[in-house]
Amino acid sequence: MPDRPCESGFLLRQASGGGFLPAKRPLTWLVVGLATFGITVLVLAALGPDVPRAIATIATTSFRTRNGFVQTLLKLVPVSLMAFAFTIPLGAGKYNIGGEGQLLAGAIGATAVGLFAASLPRPLLVPFVLLVGVVMGSLWGFVPGWLLHRFGVHEILTTVLMNFVALHLVNYVAADLWPDPFAGHPTTIPIAREAFLPLLLVRPPLHCGPVIAILVGVAVWIYCCHTVAGFELAACGANPRASKVFGIDVRRASLSSLMIGGGLAGLAGALEVAGVHHRLLEGMQSNFQTLGILTGLIAGGDPRRVLPVAFFLSVLEVGAGALQRTMRAPIEVVFLVEAFVLVAVLVSDRAGRWRS
Amino acid sequence: MTGSFSFAGFAQLMLFSMVPFVLAAQGTMLGGRAGVFNVAQEGIMLASASLGFLVAFKTGSVALGFGSAMVLGGLSGLVLSLGSTILGMNQFVIGITLTLAGLGLSTLMPKLAIGVTLTPPLAPTLTNNPIPFLGKMPVLGEVLFRQNVLVTFTVLVSIALWYVLFRTSAGLILRATGENPMAVDALGLDVFRIRHIAVMIGGMLIGLAGAYLPLAYTGTFTEGMVKGRGWLSIALAFFGGFEPGRIFWGGLFFAAVEVLAYRVQIGGSWVPYQFILMLPYLATMGVMALSSRRSRIPGFLGKNYDRERRSTSSQGQG
Repeated sequence: MPDRPCESGFLLRQASGGGFLPAKRPLTWLVVGLATFGITVLVLAALGPDVPRAIATIATTSFRTRNGFVQTLLKLVPVSLMAFAFTIPLGAGKYNIGGEGQLLAGAIGATAVGLFAASLPRPLLVPFVLLVGVVMGSLWGFVPGWLLHRFGVHEILTTVLMNFVALHLVNYVAADLWPDPFAGHPTTIPIAREAFLPLLLVRPPLHCGPVIAILVGVAVWIYCCHTVAGFELAACGANPRASKVFGIDVRRASLSSLMIGGGLAGLAGALEVAGVHHRLLEGMQSNFQTLGILTGLIAGGDPRRVLPVAFFLSVLEVGAGALQRTMRAPIEVVFLVEAFVLVAVLVSDRAGRWRS
Repeated sequence: MTGSFSFAGFAQLMLFSMVPFVLAAQGTMLGGRAGVFNVAQEGIMLASASLGFLVAFKTGSVALGFGSAMVLGGLSGLVLSLGSTILGMNQFVIGITLTLAGLGLSTLMPKLAIGVTLTPPLAPTLTNNPIPFLGKMPVLGEVLFRQNVLVTFTVLVSIALWYVLFRTSAGLILRATGENPMAVDALGLDVFRIRHIAVMIGGMLIGLAGAYLPLAYTGTFTEGMVKGRGWLSIALAFFGGFEPGRIFWGGLFFAAVEVLAYRVQIGGSWVPYQFILMLPYLATMGVMALSSRRSRIPGFLGKNYDRERRSTSSQGQG
């Protein structure tokens, strides 16, 4: 334990048997990297496009042009926040598969504020939009947390079920409640200009979300690794029984971990509304939940690793988008690559433990 | 509710819609009884719906479609049980990974095999097989005996599972594996092998449930067509307390809620239809909350068994 000061409780428990731990040895990472590269080449070769060009597209789109880099940063925001929404409850041994619903709930809240509180002064309005997003996401995390706290219903189910509730709610809000009659797709009318996130760059537009994501990353790291509450969370994940004996309210810790996670996913939704779409639209959740969970698992729940891993996956996603546009390769190719990275990380760790 | 409501029609649709819930929940139950908690139903069902549809579309044979879906489901189950036994990995982590993989595969496979088409490609679907004589009965015949083969299969499988679990020694061993693998190990039986078999057969049932959606409902595969039925079936397994009989009756209830929501949506009501569509998910959460105290779950559910660990109290921490 002393050599791993910042590992979440879940991982500590897994270290004692039957779990996963991200590989620590550079050699393992090298093997993972090479194997991933190999499988990418094989998949691309099977699909037919010019392999070297395809790989160059995936790897360099984010860095070749300014626009590519901005796209990558914009992707990083929801992916990293959704990853935190998954890893914080994971640290307490709880599985939050409801990031999607929490993101949408946050987006609904942010849209409502952006539409109806537009008379507030701008320095108040933008934080208010984000705050309501956080509160709504947190509420979406509270329901499964409360069902767990009060009735002992497994959170992995209820978090997912809340996703479907949110999906239908978004459809109601965007298609029936505040619809934009000129959009061909369930979409609300745009929020007030004053509620837009401040821009860091005007062309191509880059809102200040990436800065917020990095600040959140630092805050999560401090919370998880340097506060009593974070330590209690980790303790509950590591050994619920011992935590209880030492006077920690384990069930309340689970509840609050789900609410914090939900709040961060809600923040992601509010940032997407206030920074990117400027309205609520159906399908805005994209595949952020999947990417967030992948990020959280590849990072092994360690808050310090989430941002770099999220950046890596964002590069892959942006590259895959370009690949689909220029070479007509299906975008799911990159998904196979991501899945393989995850499997390689999980398995290599077990293999590494056998040797030692 | 519209005027065209008929009890027989409702009951027939209910039995028809029960199949994916009950099959997937029995699959979950089977793995759970051996102590392996499969949470990949949604992904496995999506992938096998996609594969089952593609095979049926290419070969023109519904049976081959269902067969391939079963193989895929069985393989996913095997990945779960091998990963959690031999590699000793966390069952939830493998399940979540499998869910994501199934999600990705389900959209990738049609793109590779068919490509993007303007009109949805149609595969043959299951036809209703009226049972001779019984199918000619007035109301009861319509409800019970003029259904497709898989409805009958689901009923038979549920009965068979109940019999095997509670009336044979193999079932006793399986239940013991989920309650106390140390005892099973002490008897000289191979805990891992029991888990492999149970989870693999469970996965096959889940695959079958997935393929039922394109091959009985629509004739085509659409993205995300499982619509949470995989997750609902996990809830159903809990609701049924991991007992085949109670899962079957619970499945009828789940199907009734689904059909009811559909009927109300078509018939129109003063509540916006989106709220009606939330009903199955909300009802499930409510039912889970109310039944959580009463329903029993296997003691070792979701926990890995490690022979090397000596003390029984430290068993199953992972």
